[in-house]
Amino acid sequence: MQKRSVVHGLAFLALGALIAAGAPVAPTQAQPGRQVRELVLVTWPQAQDPQQYEAARIAAEGMRRLGLRVTVRTMPWEQLADYIWYSRQKWDMTTWQMVGRPERSDPDELLVNLFSSSTAKDGYNFIGFIDPKYDEIAQGQREATDLTTRKKLIVQAQEIIAGAQPYTFLVNPKSIYAFNNQVWDPATIVEQKGIGIKNFWTFDGAAPKGAQKDMVLNAQDPVQAINPLYISGKVDSWITELIWDRLVRIGPDGLPRPWAAGAYKWLTPTTIDVTLRPGMRWHDGTPVTADDVIFSFTAPKGGKVPMYRPFVANIADIKKLSATTLRFTLAKPSAAFLTSTLGKINLVPQHVWAPMLQSLEGKKENAESLQEKAPIGSGPFKFAGWTRGQEVVLEANPEHWAAPKMRRWILRTVSNVEAALGGLRNGEINFLSDYLGDPAVLARLSSQDPRITVIASTDIGMQFIAYNERRPPFNDADFRRALSMVIDRNMIRLVAYKGYGVLADSPVSQALEFWHAPNLPQYAYNVAAARDLLKKAGYEWDPQGHLLYPASQTETLEVAR
Amino acid sequence: MTRSSTRWIAQRLAQMLLVLWVVATLLFLIFRLMPGNPLAAYIDPNFTADQQQALIHEFGLDLPLWQQYLIFLRASAAGSMGQSFFYHAPVAQLVWEALPNTLILVLGAVIIAFLIGATAGAFLAWKRGTALETAGISLALAVRAAPEFWVGMILLAVFSFSLRWFPTSGTASPGAQYASLWRQLTSPDFLRHLALPLVTLVLYLQGLPLLLMRSNMLDVMEEEFIVMARMKGLPERRILLRHAARNALLPVVTAFALVVGYSLQGYVVVENVFSWPGLGRLLVKAVAAKDYPLAQGAFLLIAALAIFMNLAADLFYTWLDPRVSYAKR
Amino acid sequence: MRSGSVGALPRPGQTWAGWRRAAGTLWGVLQHDRFAFAGIVIYALFVLIALSAPLLTPYDPQQTIISGDQLMANRPPSRAYPLGTTNVGRDIFAQLVYGARPALAVGFVAAFFVALIGTSIGIVAGYYGGWLDAVLMRLADVAFGIPYLPFVIVLVAFLGPSLWNIVLTMALLLWKDTARVVRAQVLTLRERGFVEAARVLGSSPRRLMLVHLAPNVLPIALLYGSLAVGWAILTEASVSFLGFGDPARISWGYMLQDAYISQALSGGAYNWFIPPGVCIMLVVMAGYFISRGYEELLFPRLRRR
Repeated sequence: MQKRSVVHGLAFLALGALIAAGAPVAPTQAQPGRQVRELVLVTWPQAQDPQQYEAARIAAEGMRRLGLRVTVRTMPWEQLADYIWYSRQKWDMTTWQMVGRPERSDPDELLVNLFSSSTAKDGYNFIGFIDPKYDEIAQGQREATDLTTRKKLIVQAQEIIAGAQPYTFLVNPKSIYAFNNQVWDPATIVEQKGIGIKNFWTFDGAAPKGAQKDMVLNAQDPVQAINPLYISGKVDSWITELIWDRLVRIGPDGLPRPWAAGAYKWLTPTTIDVTLRPGMRWHDGTPVTADDVIFSFTAPKGGKVPMYRPFVANIADIKKLSATTLRFTLAKPSAAFLTSTLGKINLVPQHVWAPMLQSLEGKKENAESLQEKAPIGSGPFKFAGWTRGQEVVLEANPEHWAAPKMRRWILRTVSNVEAALGGLRNGEINFLSDYLGDPAVLARLSSQDPRITVIASTDIGMQFIAYNERRPPFNDADFRRALSMVIDRNMIRLVAYKGYGVLADSPVSQALEFWHAPNLPQYAYNVAAARDLLKKAGYEWDPQGHLLYPASQTETLEVAR
Repeated sequence: MTRSSTRWIAQRLAQMLLVLWVVATLLFLIFRLMPGNPLAAYIDPNFTADQQQALIHEFGLDLPLWQQYLIFLRASAAGSMGQSFFYHAPVAQLVWEALPNTLILVLGAVIIAFLIGATAGAFLAWKRGTALETAGISLALAVRAAPEFWVGMILLAVFSFSLRWFPTSGTASPGAQYASLWRQLTSPDFLRHLALPLVTLVLYLQGLPLLLMRSNMLDVMEEEFIVMARMKGLPERRILLRHAARNALLPVVTAFALVVGYSLQGYVVVENVFSWPGLGRLLVKAVAAKDYPLAQGAFLLIAALAIFMNLAADLFYTWLDPRVSYAKR
Repeated sequence: MRSGSVGALPRPGQTWAGWRRAAGTLWGVLQHDRFAFAGIVIYALFVLIALSAPLLTPYDPQQTIISGDQLMANRPPSRAYPLGTTNVGRDIFAQLVYGARPALAVGFVAAFFVALIGTSIGIVAGYYGGWLDAVLMRLADVAFGIPYLPFVIVLVAFLGPSLWNIVLTMALLLWKDTARVVRAQVLTLRERGFVEAARVLGSSPRRLMLVHLAPNVLPIALLYGSLAVGWAILTEASVSFLGFGDPARISWGYMLQDAYISQALSGGAYNWFIPPGVCIMLVVMAGYFISRGYEELLFPRLRRR
């Protein structure tokens, strides 16, 4: 029937279009013999992270000088995170970063989570680095409450990593922030080690010079939630830090100091007494009690606060010794307890949250789906308003013992980076708190306009290239060391990071001067030396210059998909 | 209205619902069939396997596809669009908050674009054959041919960064508070924030009404009654305004509804450039973050508006032009 | 939609006469209408640029230029770099010139598919009528109802950020205007007994559609095709701007996005931000000009100036 032929024709057309669209996706066969397969380096698209993308490109260029065939493949970050996290057998190498957070001022979290064998299967050790000696040392530093012993162990751990090169460390980036020095007294702007000037101490202590008493900041992404029991986006944490207090805070020097806790004392490696500061009040007027504090640390233990649960898992018991003193008993000694737990858990009012958590019993939702209309905390700022997608307004809490000097703290969502710069110039914004653009542009702006001060600080975080040790040749430490020597890290620092970063050589950032190990091997860019290293390890090259495995090995894997 | 026309309207409404259902199903399938773990963006790597499972269960993603679909249909019919993964808030609430900002920008832009475009189109038709007309048409087409975000960024750079006449982002100044929505919308602060995104959209949209009006005017001016009026000795301008324009306006007016529907898509980039908190920006963020419920909800609302506008355009046209018979459709 | 004048019924035995006549008329339009002519000239110019890109610039668009020991970043326009360099040291003029290739490729391929799909569906729906017509028109309704750019974004997120996925998505949605208009034209032709006469003369449906109907709707196909070139290029630019574009190809949309995320405007680098936009504008405008030429053909009243 003619109609059928027409329908066939249309279907053929559609099919042809689909085939044409799918044509580039053809699987590559495994290479026979000793030739190393084509390796794939995955990274963020240029739009989402121009620095990592550029770093990947330069790294791939370097690796090709070893006779390797390398492809750079981009994926949107959600897909990338998914791929790296859940398909641990499939990928070869990826660019990655560890973001600097105040809690990471203590190297415990990164050293253990990234390289301990316990997190290899489904935790942060997605590269599959297994080293029993390292596990021993990592565990040891966790339990060493004596500072000197602990520091020695931490240095040792870094030396093992530097030798094994499970990552090629690229840079500790510099975080760049700017503020209007006609509005804010520069003497009151605090630079926190490894964090920069955008930190709690600046917000708490910045003194307005003139008529403008509100701090207006910017963020590129909208605020997701204002919830003390939820670690949502990075922007949200700026807000929770201001509305809710914690027992301990990380000071500008990177070390913990008492905050809501007036004092604390270690009795044994697993027992610590904490004394509360008197006179604290919630924003609704009711006093902060020891019961509130106990509630804040026990509520996450239930199933309804999944993100904070790991941080209270080590607390075996909390005893109320008096109206102002609590005794924490830990299951295992943890030298980082002050930073990683007492410095992280938000103090929440029991009379507000107990009924809310109670209402979740038996339902499948957890605390993250709750959102107070007017969040109540005890911190130096009170919640004043939230227009979704636009701005969050906090106002100063005059009754707090560390009451802020500014009147209001206003966070604007500005999705357009150029608009943020423009806003800084014309006074709409007086503190540039989220700037992922070209640092040279900001520097030029500052040199043209003396009202704007730009401060770049080395970050706690780091950027690196991770090698999946489940897939040869990345299980060979010599191979990894050679890779580190052909990646021109200095060019990456100059081109991808525009010079705004220091070369990294350890999971512990150079910003953490106390903990960073000195004299680690540097792996300077040297193609000849890298080839030499491979030759000594048994690798060879075929007449076309392609890298071959040592004599006893053949390529067993297919190209990563 | 006659009985046949009521039936026709009912038919079109039914078709509209059908189209909406197809679009919703298509959306549902696309999101569910996307590669990768849907919750990768939301699961904290610190979670144990149990906790991850609990989260998947909470979002209903462990049910078979057809069951998820039924739940989705049922919820949509009841008016609920689910819970946003990203914001942990009802999608309906988020969409409802963003909608007024979008409507104001889009409707305002279309109305102004039509006013300016139609006037300019009539003017150019009057100046037919002159160099002015050629220049005018070229200019209108040139502006229409430029990418909206490019025009927007340039306007922003010139009028906001350099001249500082307008603010750089948002719908209101930092910390501003208003007694009511009406107060906010009529405040000078809001209008200043609205100005640049509005102008960007107007520049883009003016092309269609301009060209349409011009070509219709040219048609009408050849009509017999115009020739008659000219022979009668009436002044050219009176002919233009009283007779020609009024008749030429008809198709332009009906194109209005169409253009509203059509412009509900182009403004997505404009919202991004000016950080305007409307549906477009919400949708783009939701897609990037794989927030299915929110992306679905925003998309569906935009589609519903567009389809409704289409229907309104059809209705309007048939009402205005009784020569068109229903039977032909 | 008013029906324009169409060619007369071709005599039996003259299979290609209809096509030849249509081609002749279309070519005539190009020669006589100023706008259409200007459009063709612009197209020809860009095609020439795209083809001769390696001759116009010594640099590769992806190449980061290092002179001496310094990275040539953010250089203003000079003899060595006619439009200056980007913030990672790439030559802007090279990117512009090579960027014509994906732009034109996307434009023409999308336009071709849109015209082809739209015309085919329009002819089939108009000719057969009945349930096939109803189904196809409801499909067009769905395509009308789906907001264009959001759908492209969603599908590209789904299929992956490749240039051809963007083209595919456009082909899936943009045929609706062409189809509707072609169908209306076919209905008119049907009404005028055109189709009936041909069938009486013994043409099979396929022959009828190909030989008789298609040439008569060719102007419409070309009108919407040339419009589609513009839509395609603008879509690709918008999608790239939002971050969903193809990272492997330097297109004008990619350049604009690159400039945007590198704060070109705040840095005063107008030489980076303006040229790609101007190129897009010119090519899209050319498409509009050409389509206006064919509009004249369909509405011959306007030919009298």
